[in-house]
Amino acid sequence: MSTDIELIVNFYGYIRDVVAEDKIHLSIPSSSTMEDMFKLLCDKYGNRFRERVLTSQGDLQGTVAISIDNKVIDSLTTRLGDEIKENKEVNIMVIPMAAGGSQKSSVKEDTWIPTVCGLCYSHCGILVHRVDGVVVKIEGNPECPNSMGRICARGLSGIMLLYDPSRLNFPMKRTNPQKGIGIDPGWVQITWDEALQIMTDKLTKLRQEDPRKLTVCTSVICNDQGTMLRLFGAAFGSPNNFYSSGGSHCGNAEHLFGGLLHAAWSKQPDFEYCNYLLNFGVPAGTGAYYGVPGMAQRLSDARARGMKHVVIDPMHNMAAEKGDEWIPIKPGTDGALAMALLNVLLNELNIYDSDYLKHHTNAPYLITEDGYYLRDKQTKKPMVWDPIDARTKTYDDPTTKDFALTGEFTEDGLSGKTAFSLLREQVKKYSPEFASRITGIPTDTIRRIAREFGTAARIGSTIVLDGKELPCRPVAVLYFKGAQGHKNATLTSMAIELLAEIVGASNVPGGILGKNARSLGYPGGNDKLSYCPGEGPDGLLRTGTWLSTVSPYPPLEAKKPVLYSLQDLFPTCAVSSPLTPHALLEPEKFKMPYKLEVLMTVGGNFLMTKADPNMIAKAFRGLFIVSFRLYLDETAELCDLVLPDASYLERLSTHVDGFNTNTAVGEWGYRIRQPVVKPLFQRRDSQEVLLELAKKLGIEKVLFKVMKASAGLMTPYTNDISNDYKSFEEILDKRYKSLFGDEHGLEWFKEHGVLKWPKKVEEVYWKPFVKARAPIYFEFFKRVGEQIKKITEENGIEEIDTSSFQPLPDWKPCLSHQEKRSEYDLYATYFRVPIQSFSSTYNNPWLDEASKIDPYVYNFSINSETARRKGIKDGDWIELESAATGNKIKGKAKLTEGIHPEVVGMANCGGHWAKGLPLASQPGKGACFEWLMPLSLESMDMPVLNQDLCVKVKVSKA
Amino acid sequence: MRYGMVIDLKRCIGCYGCQIACKAENATPPGILLARLFKKEFGTYPNVRRISLPLLCMNCKDPACKAVCPTGASEQRADGIVTVDKEKCVGCRYCMMACPYGARYYHAKEREYFPGQGLTPYEKVGYQRHPTGVVEKCDFCLERLGRGLQPACVANCMAKARYFGDLDDPNSEVSKLIRDKAGYQLHPELGTDPSVFYLPP
Repeated sequence: MSTDIELIVNFYGYIRDVVAEDKIHLSIPSSSTMEDMFKLLCDKYGNRFRERVLTSQGDLQGTVAISIDNKVIDSLTTRLGDEIKENKEVNIMVIPMAAGGSQKSSVKEDTWIPTVCGLCYSHCGILVHRVDGVVVKIEGNPECPNSMGRICARGLSGIMLLYDPSRLNFPMKRTNPQKGIGIDPGWVQITWDEALQIMTDKLTKLRQEDPRKLTVCTSVICNDQGTMLRLFGAAFGSPNNFYSSGGSHCGNAEHLFGGLLHAAWSKQPDFEYCNYLLNFGVPAGTGAYYGVPGMAQRLSDARARGMKHVVIDPMHNMAAEKGDEWIPIKPGTDGALAMALLNVLLNELNIYDSDYLKHHTNAPYLITEDGYYLRDKQTKKPMVWDPIDARTKTYDDPTTKDFALTGEFTEDGLSGKTAFSLLREQVKKYSPEFASRITGIPTDTIRRIAREFGTAARIGSTIVLDGKELPCRPVAVLYFKGAQGHKNATLTSMAIELLAEIVGASNVPGGILGKNARSLGYPGGNDKLSYCPGEGPDGLLRTGTWLSTVSPYPPLEAKKPVLYSLQDLFPTCAVSSPLTPHALLEPEKFKMPYKLEVLMTVGGNFLMTKADPNMIAKAFRGLFIVSFRLYLDETAELCDLVLPDASYLERLSTHVDGFNTNTAVGEWGYRIRQPVVKPLFQRRDSQEVLLELAKKLGIEKVLFKVMKASAGLMTPYTNDISNDYKSFEEILDKRYKSLFGDEHGLEWFKEHGVLKWPKKVEEVYWKPFVKARAPIYFEFFKRVGEQIKKITEENGIEEIDTSSFQPLPDWKPCLSHQEKRSEYDLYATYFRVPIQSFSSTYNNPWLDEASKIDPYVYNFSINSETARRKGIKDGDWIELESAATGNKIKGKAKLTEGIHPEVVGMANCGGHWAKGLPLASQPGKGACFEWLMPLSLESMDMPVLNQDLCVKVKVSKA
Repeated sequence: MRYGMVIDLKRCIGCYGCQIACKAENATPPGILLARLFKKEFGTYPNVRRISLPLLCMNCKDPACKAVCPTGASEQRADGIVTVDKEKCVGCRYCMMACPYGARYYHAKEREYFPGQGLTPYEKVGYQRHPTGVVEKCDFCLERLGRGLQPACVANCMAKARYFGDLDDPNSEVSKLIRDKAGYQLHPELGTDPSVFYLPP
């Protein structure tokens, strides 16, 4: 017969909402077990208590920790009498897990894994919570300078991609030789062995014939895998590649000018000091654009501090919602507005930064009447005018006492006007009155914005940062896909960019910053990560590093095309060319010396992200297409072999950090992407498969060689080429050790996730520290344009419109501006949203839930008054018919006051139709804008190869 | 002690991060949005203003939901948080009718996010916390509070538009923000004294 013992039971944690007290006294026989004690407590507190602490089998929940005087009790069979001799306290603590208590008797595993998000191009550091093998939560990683512990809706919803039952899980082979949109490929499941054999046979034969017959297509969202595929293509011996969205969804002109003027791929306003942001419709800090979470915080901080945010956009959208002023503009006319702003600043208000223009741009270069630099006879260097010595000098002559900024000068019978004079003359015709007629913006608004911007620039002011006195120009200009996505992309971008240049607000405190243009390397490490913009030919800025293989400056010489992207013919396209389908459809037009036969792709959904899908299907259906895919999506319909890819949560990768994915200010952060679960089913990471395939093709040594170069491997880690690397892991390990020393290998990164260090003033605000001039006069465009003309003539290639290869900015109408048929009376445009990533996320039910609530994501936004005139009511199904393609798309009308009366706006890349995306392919899930876009050179900006997204449509009730 | 939240509408960018952060934290089944976002426009073209209004349970000081609950399932803790005891809840939904903010959801039957394709491994684990036949509401992430963390929607807000703390403490960040920046409640005239305050856009 046992005696009773008196217990004090303390409750802690996630149980206090169930029990009324935090401490109770309990009397219980000393022979009782823990189980008996819990039985008593369950009787006392009811089922809610029971569910919280016990499993349905009556075992302890994995979330419950019991201790008696700091001694952990982990078994319910423990006899209380054995542990409790006198009155001691029992502590019951319930620690909830992020996704709820496990019903298993004990949690065998509960871990947080640092990795990198893969749902857009921001590549934010995340922490993934895995419990007993199941991913239960994704959070931002507080250590990551990009996410700073906070991530967007897309990033949070990655679990729904990982576990989507519609994912492609097995290799599949096409059995139906007929190819086209809506035609069932007749998929049959095959083994990986068979899939590898098919690829090996096909590619071995192709390589013997002509390796150039292979092209590869990648996507910016999975750039880690894309890098590997491009390296594989290069090792195979093919120079061909393209991006699934290059030139259509990418900002080809914006990126090029980023390189030319900011030595960077993308830009960020210096939110910490900027007082006036002139934003041509970029959702920077409002959920899209680069570096989503960090930018959101910085924009909000800047606005709280008092920064004025002026948003120019056909639609009152995310950016305008956080704007202090919304200026609606007719699509495709941003360049005309920028020209007028330049005109007011340069010719009416005389606001410009003379000192900056003289010393940091080519504004003082003398230009001859034929539009080229006046060059020194001996050195061939461009000349400037020294007004003090009253004679010409080369731009870099150390004896130059001053630079003439304005005027025409003659010496020895040679005369030239300064580039700055020519710019001032060029913008003169864009009076606010003239621009107002083009843009629809009132003249006084244009004058006021110019004055506000010029005044806010505080030309001449300085700031001391880290002991260094630097120019302070607290104004920034931002533009991206919207403003530059037109036939006038190059000239529009040039005009917008020059707004910041003429006031000197470029890469200095307060201004617009090229992201990661300069790196002084990892402190204490080797100099592998160091790079610096510098002086290229004619003293102009060249980048320190660049993402694509084609550098912005100096441009290569235009050549007779051998590449199917035609980028050799168009060397000022330094991003990704959208012309592969054009060349595929008409190879003879460009005198292509061979025919493409095989396409390998990873990521992206090019069938619906380039232009009219009918034309894209026509262009590509003749190729043998092997594709690593997450879903049997639209592009899969064209494929011959589809391979189940590992999602970003299932793979190991490098190339998720660095130049493009770091934030402009704050800290550098190098990260790792690692699998948080093993690839489910038969999914395999394309990178691993390509390594295996390379071995089968006998090209692995070449592949290792290019991988080593690309990954930045250094001595002592660059093994002799005959010494093969064993695995992808080994390459990554050597990469990290090369960059950050022995102590920071793969294992370190797997554990810690992020290696970071502070950015220096000389890195963030690099311009005052670097001797190189930014162009305000783009002489080389003229030269390249003439080269292209010559090559096309010499080779019998059909004439190409080179009229936009101009050295100075301008505005030219889009084809849609010239549409004469009155029934096509509205402009269709698209925009990016914070809850979808291009075409890749539309099957995600959490994002779908949000997209359905949001009035603007799945619907066509149309001005209320315009809709009323057309008899369209809110929620009506309407049909848009493209003046350019004749194709029609359907959607529900959202009547809004927040859109230009001549515009229909939609979010990009919805409107799926593939059976493999059952959620995304239901009606009413947005629209695919590409149906409206023609596949033609006429709608292309030729210097940077950018699709025009200005499409006139006829709108009617569906 | 009275837990409360402040949402700065000037900072909020309407990104739905709160809605999905809540979902990710609480594994709520389809259609149950304990945090959500509402967008609204004002004015006429071109003088337009659009705002995003994040909504959640206001965890009112005088909760109308609690008053009408016939079983006592809707309870209010000493710290002001209003909870639903799922054992006591009989799913009568009077509370949903009484709540002026539409903050409560009835979980009628188990549904999957990929209809007809079964529960994902994530849902199988997560939905164990969501019995059917009862009413669900936001409890300011009570379990996170127990771990010394902020509610998920606050911790994850990219624009740092959400603040959480003790409304009874005049020196807390939330109290100061409400005082200094003219914080207001939604529909105070309904007399429930919400514990969620908004700062003007």
